[in-house]
Amino acid sequence: MAMTDRLGRESQKGTSPLCLPSQLAPAAYGALYLHIPFCASRCGYCDFTTEATSPGDPRLDAYVERLVRDIRSAAREGLLAQVTTVYIGGGTPSFLGSRRLVNLVYTLSLSMNLGSETEFTLEANPESLTPALVRDLYSLGVNRFSLGVQSFDDAELAALGRAHDANAARRALATIRERADNVSVDLMCGIPHQSTASWQHSLSEALRGGASHVSVYPLTIEEATPFANAIAAGHQAPPDEDVQAQMMEAAADVLGAAGLLRYEVASYAHPGFECRHNIAYWTGVPYLGLGRGAAGMRTAADGMRERLLDGEVTERLTPAEAMREDLMCGMRMSAGVLHDAVHAAEPLVPGITERFEELVALGLAASAEGRYRPTSRGWLLGNELYGRIWNC
Amino acid sequence: MTDPRHIRNFSIIAHIDHGKSTLADRVLQLTHTIADRDMVEQVLDSMDIERERGITIKSQAVRVMYDADDGQTYQFNLIDTPGHVDFTYEVSRSLAACEGAVLVVDSTQGVEAQTVANALMAMNANLEIIPLINKIDLPAADVERVRHEIEEGLAIPADDALTASGKTGAGIKELLEAILVRIPAPTGKPEAPLAALIFDSYFDPYRGVVALIRVIDGHIAANARIRFMATDVVTQVEEVGVRRPANTPVEELGVGEVGYLITGLKDPADVRVGDTVTLANGGIAQALPGYREVKPMVYTGLFPLDGDQYPDLRDALDKLQLNDPALIYEPETSHALGFGFRVGFLGLLHMEVVKERLEREFSLDLLATAPSVEYHVFLTNGKTLSIHSPQEMPDAAGIEHIEEPYLSATVIIPPDYVGAVMELSVARRGVFSTMQYLSTTTVEMKWEIPLSELIMDYFDQLKSRTKGYASLDYEFSEYRAAELVRLDILLSGKPVDALSFIVHKDKAYGTGTVLTQKLKEIIPRQLFEVPIQAAIGSRVLARTTVKARRKDVLAKCYGGDISRKRKLLEKQKAGKKRMKNIGSVEVPQEAFMAILKVDE
Repeated sequence: MAMTDRLGRESQKGTSPLCLPSQLAPAAYGALYLHIPFCASRCGYCDFTTEATSPGDPRLDAYVERLVRDIRSAAREGLLAQVTTVYIGGGTPSFLGSRRLVNLVYTLSLSMNLGSETEFTLEANPESLTPALVRDLYSLGVNRFSLGVQSFDDAELAALGRAHDANAARRALATIRERADNVSVDLMCGIPHQSTASWQHSLSEALRGGASHVSVYPLTIEEATPFANAIAAGHQAPPDEDVQAQMMEAAADVLGAAGLLRYEVASYAHPGFECRHNIAYWTGVPYLGLGRGAAGMRTAADGMRERLLDGEVTERLTPAEAMREDLMCGMRMSAGVLHDAVHAAEPLVPGITERFEELVALGLAASAEGRYRPTSRGWLLGNELYGRIWNC
Repeated sequence: MTDPRHIRNFSIIAHIDHGKSTLADRVLQLTHTIADRDMVEQVLDSMDIERERGITIKSQAVRVMYDADDGQTYQFNLIDTPGHVDFTYEVSRSLAACEGAVLVVDSTQGVEAQTVANALMAMNANLEIIPLINKIDLPAADVERVRHEIEEGLAIPADDALTASGKTGAGIKELLEAILVRIPAPTGKPEAPLAALIFDSYFDPYRGVVALIRVIDGHIAANARIRFMATDVVTQVEEVGVRRPANTPVEELGVGEVGYLITGLKDPADVRVGDTVTLANGGIAQALPGYREVKPMVYTGLFPLDGDQYPDLRDALDKLQLNDPALIYEPETSHALGFGFRVGFLGLLHMEVVKERLEREFSLDLLATAPSVEYHVFLTNGKTLSIHSPQEMPDAAGIEHIEEPYLSATVIIPPDYVGAVMELSVARRGVFSTMQYLSTTTVEMKWEIPLSELIMDYFDQLKSRTKGYASLDYEFSEYRAAELVRLDILLSGKPVDALSFIVHKDKAYGTGTVLTQKLKEIIPRQLFEVPIQAAIGSRVLARTTVKARRKDVLAKCYGGDISRKRKLLEKQKAGKKRMKNIGSVEVPQEAFMAILKVDE
């Protein structure tokens, strides 16, 4: 499959998930997510399902054992037969260490087809990424690493409560690049005391280190996190939306100049290095989630889209809702959505075409070449853009 | 019928929060009117809002039987009155139904503005006053200081004061004996034609209007043909009875007795507080004194957030009015807010309570505009207009002059805060009248102040500038000429009628400047820049701008985040629903009340 097809840029023929109306989405799982809810320490902004513990915690072994059993049983039920992307995320998966991760990935290699066409991502943090870990996992089929760097400035890393410094991040990036060419770096803007210059510096460092993919996010204050408490108590300034907007625009400039394309609001990649697993999330492909706090999505026999958490169905969306969700997620990506897909949705989502035209009138979307695409203003005002689609 | 010599009619009056309702509870318990197991707190406050806020809005009458120390049983009628200045007229009618009043003073707070006002009202009604120093169980109780304030401030001998605790019940028995001994029995002419005073009324969905009455002369019984004198409505008595506190029918009510009257009348406008009931044939010619028509002091626009709720709002107002004849309303249309009502209230508390009841009991989402008063506009063509909202203000060219209502306000404070009250009241165009020390720790200041200034958060400001010590009472004084102008607020260049207000010419610039700043804080950044201007006619006094929004929350959106994202978007939509779309600008509700906050 050509990379362009995965992205759907050449997909007017209707073969890409991007222009498939939801009800035609394949019922089988196309993506597998494994969640590792452990970290060396908890960052000040984090509200993910994870907990800080020590690498010797016996619960880590038990957790991996449990995941191994879950993978085997999913395989026996035939749920992994059509999976083409695997993602081990967290938490901090690399915190498990090479031995436990090898155990997991080896089980996967026995349970499903882990060919070279399978995109297999491991999330890692610099402090727990070792040469041995990269070597072992790469040899078992992990072909993409997503490194949680956030910043190449030591003061900013300390402010975030990260467990690594800039040097560790550089070393980890170099370690991965010795084997894998598909490496993503996560960077964060709007960090307390971060300057535009240091933000540009972090972006350049990621490029210099050989990142083929960069995810950029503005710091978001989530409820009940140490950051939220500090802001409520007046010890910390809340993020400035104008500064964050400028930084997001600066990222587009720096990364664009280096030849990375912005294929999603927060994702930049050299052509061919777009994250297929994430694209699956944004295009209505069913995914299986294993592990504590892992989310899954599937189409039920009655046509409803079900979301699962820890194996329990947590929500059921009607085909119309699923369609609105796909259109909303579609507009996260630069490819946007096909006019045809919007028109096809009209019977189930009355008024949706008019709504897209309204987005164009507001400057949040552009309409050209048979597609609606988000504008850079629309990306920055994502809630407005997505909200108007979801709440149609 | 009870021999009047065995009847005592009394009210309990107090400044708000001095423990009136709890004291009434103890009286009901001690007289076995309510069994201990049925006792809830504040029995006589039947509305949720009354209990929650600890205030009394409706008057209540309850008959208790008291076994006195002399071995005989007496009929005591306790009339519980509203404790707020908004309801002064209702209180005055309740007092007119009594021979005596228990004046409750909190032993930790001392004499406050409404203590003075209530005492004066009771004296004017020729009532025997029994001062009762309450809450003596509290560690901060200072009975001697309060005795002194009662003597100095109210000119009531300090030795007359009793002490009690509504909480523990201490002193209640002594209070009941004092009521028997000190308050005179009612006198009246049993053989004379009926004269009965209506001191409150409420609406019962099955029985119609129920009036609470006090018989002055004669007697009233079922089937009698009667006449309501002010409204000149003739009808027949269906039932009379007493409240214990449940309605208990009796054959008749005689001289001095207090009870209820049911006639089957369905329109509350027929049965007015303060009116006199007499016989249809051979009744008295001259009504009892003191009746007046209730007139609203404060007006506000009430608009349903969802335009579809307009008929529901109308029905809800109709229903509330049945129990609250002081509530008046007429349809109002706003370009900005659509269809709604201009509603008149007795005061700010009344307004708050009504709005809360409309939202709570009728599930309405309402937007209230800033309160206004009734202005008298004298036109150059010789005509006079009474206007209740800024929108009704005619073109300046046609106005000869404008008059606005003034109040006589009484503020009671510790001496340290005289300066603070001075500063606030002068800023509110108040004119100082007199100052008097009630005791070394308590000062009474009197002001003439425009009602329009008082309703703009004056009381809250007064409280906060005096660390909560100030108490306030006021009554209507007169209409006075003032140089008033209408200040308009423009959003994105378009005037928003619901944000207009009337202000004194000299304050227009300052108010306009502060208000535009306040609105800038309140109105969230939108997709487009929103200029805010304050203007008189075409003359812009102040302007500012809400910058366009650059960026909103951009969070990760993988796997499970998608549900979370959607929920956030739904919440955002619900939040927007609470806002009002004016043109393309989303305006939060609090913007319409921002004018109240210009002094902060």
